[in-house]
Amino acid sequence: MFLMRFTERAYVDYTEKDVRDSFRNSVRLTFPNSHFSPARGADLYNTYLDEYEYAEEVGFDGLMLNEHHNTPTCMGAAMNLEAAILARTTKRAKIVLLGNPLPIFDNPLRLAEELAEIDMISRGRLVSGFVRGTGIETWATNTNPVYNRERFEEAHDLVIKTWTTPGPWRWEGKHYQFRVVNPFERPLQNPHPPVWIPGIGSPETLIWCAEHHYPYIYLETDPQVTLDLTAIYNETAERFGYQPGPQNFGYLVRVHVQDTDEKAYEVGKGFLVGNAGIGRVPLPGDFMAPPGYNSRAGAKRIVDQYKRYSLRPDPLYGGVDSAGWDKVVDSNRVIVGNPETVLRKLREVLSVVRPGILGIWTNDGTISHADTMRCLELMEHDVLPALRAMGEELGLPGPFEATP
Amino acid sequence: MAEHTEQFVPVGGAKIHYHKGGSGRPLVLLHGIHGDLGWCQHHKLLAENFTVYAPTLPGFGESERPAWLETVSDLARFTLWLIDELNISNVSLAGHSIGGWVAAEMATMSPSSFEALILVDAAGIQPEIGEITDIFLHGHDSTRSLSFFKPEQTPEFDQLFKAKPSRKTRNRQTQNQEAAARYFWKPYMFDPSLRWVLERVPTPTLVIWGQEDQIVPVECGILYRNALPRARAVIIPECGHYPHIEKPDEFSRIVQEFLDKLDGHN
Repeated sequence: MFLMRFTERAYVDYTEKDVRDSFRNSVRLTFPNSHFSPARGADLYNTYLDEYEYAEEVGFDGLMLNEHHNTPTCMGAAMNLEAAILARTTKRAKIVLLGNPLPIFDNPLRLAEELAEIDMISRGRLVSGFVRGTGIETWATNTNPVYNRERFEEAHDLVIKTWTTPGPWRWEGKHYQFRVVNPFERPLQNPHPPVWIPGIGSPETLIWCAEHHYPYIYLETDPQVTLDLTAIYNETAERFGYQPGPQNFGYLVRVHVQDTDEKAYEVGKGFLVGNAGIGRVPLPGDFMAPPGYNSRAGAKRIVDQYKRYSLRPDPLYGGVDSAGWDKVVDSNRVIVGNPETVLRKLREVLSVVRPGILGIWTNDGTISHADTMRCLELMEHDVLPALRAMGEELGLPGPFEATP
Repeated sequence: MAEHTEQFVPVGGAKIHYHKGGSGRPLVLLHGIHGDLGWCQHHKLLAENFTVYAPTLPGFGESERPAWLETVSDLARFTLWLIDELNISNVSLAGHSIGGWVAAEMATMSPSSFEALILVDAAGIQPEIGEITDIFLHGHDSTRSLSFFKPEQTPEFDQLFKAKPSRKTRNRQTQNQEAAARYFWKPYMFDPSLRWVLERVPTPTLVIWGQEDQIVPVECGILYRNALPRARAVIIPECGHYPHIEKPDEFSRIVQEFLDKLDGHN
């Protein structure tokens, strides 16, 4: 099992009133950046990088980063910069980018170059995930949402060809045109860095992913929904003549460990001040899914599945946090506790979802640096070794142990 | 009151929906971003003296979109083709909002094709001072409240906008929003070159604008009037972005008088 550590690198120095006073009461996209202090940001970026370096020390296999725009909930607006720093300051862990939002790039060749540099500086430790991005990314970069999937697929094809086909050559696509494709620097990994795809279950993406043998990383999806979605991937894989296994799937879940269950329960509440914003004010639906962003069939499926299974009162946009802390904890959608409790709960999740990649979202929101460091410290001896053993016992090989 | 029918005509392999009613000279009305709102009061009033054609633009409502059709220029070329397929001549062309933009583009592409041009709170020109409101960013409810000066003075407001939409209507609204995003997302609601080519349009033009339009500012109407050689403007007081819906009697009378006067001159 591949174990990677994640945090959204939240900025939390604002109030619920600030959110409610923003245009359409949104913590993303239109939340005024006058609420951001660069001095505070300087501290936070350095703190978050310190934590990632420590995560490698305690034994994580991967350091997972993500990217969002126009939001205090995730300071990774230029994820590749953080990745480049970690490529140099860490030595062993994979740098897992989940992922670069392809549709918002007008120049995918520049992206291919950046990723190649990260791969070389890290001496071949890059995992290059790609995403369609949320609707917020589309708004923030003024990319036409109707073409989101077309641009995702074309940019992907262009980047992969750039990495694998000796130049110079020419690309005349629908959304991208380049006279001379010939970036001089190519990735260290051959034929190219592994590609993983994170998401919340758009069926078209799952099918595309299975066609390409790319591992799909479920982002906090409900376990039953996850199984339904896995069936889509599996059916597609079978049509393409292969049998996927745990190495084809990942699962991201928030896990916070402290010395006692009581302390973890209290500290873990800090998760509530982050991903969905202080006060858990729901985002406008059209901010997350602007017109044409999802296919109508895909949108219907996502809404239906969340209505059926989600803890979220607002099916898509309230976040896990909206359901109430006890309900979230009781249902293992966020796992908190001492090492023993956390392992017991993770066994319940892993037994059902059966991923070969486990994303452990250790901290967010108002969880302090000190509590985060203690959480990571406890993981070193009391959680990660046991999780590896659990992965072997449950037969959950990661994508570096078995070919996806 | 003139009866009307709903029909389909094939254009370039796509099935295009349109309303047709009345008798007399042909008057083509292009809808705004809401898509086809049905056979409304202003259609009925104008159909008393004209043969009114109200097509649904491709991708909206029941009209198919050919896969290649993705820009406002494509829409304009396609709508010229549609008029050919309808086999009508001596056409007066009117358009509201994005339909006005398409009409203006059509006039620049085929300057001698139309007897008259009527632009109603039309998008298409970038204002110099104000902004065209970002209706995508504002969302459905806010946009609706910005669109009318006084909903209570709007005869069909409840019927068109207040009834709880059926599933079919909601799907249609989603489809219309997708079509709008495809054509008008960026640059948002204007064509940088349009203003500069309007000079070649010799067509007698009436620019009608709601004085309180909070979607496309009146300034854009003035820019249209100044750019089109044979244009005059009528600004309707106490009226928002939908003069034909908010004040259908006044709107229809203004259009009628303009076309009658034109006819007299001819």
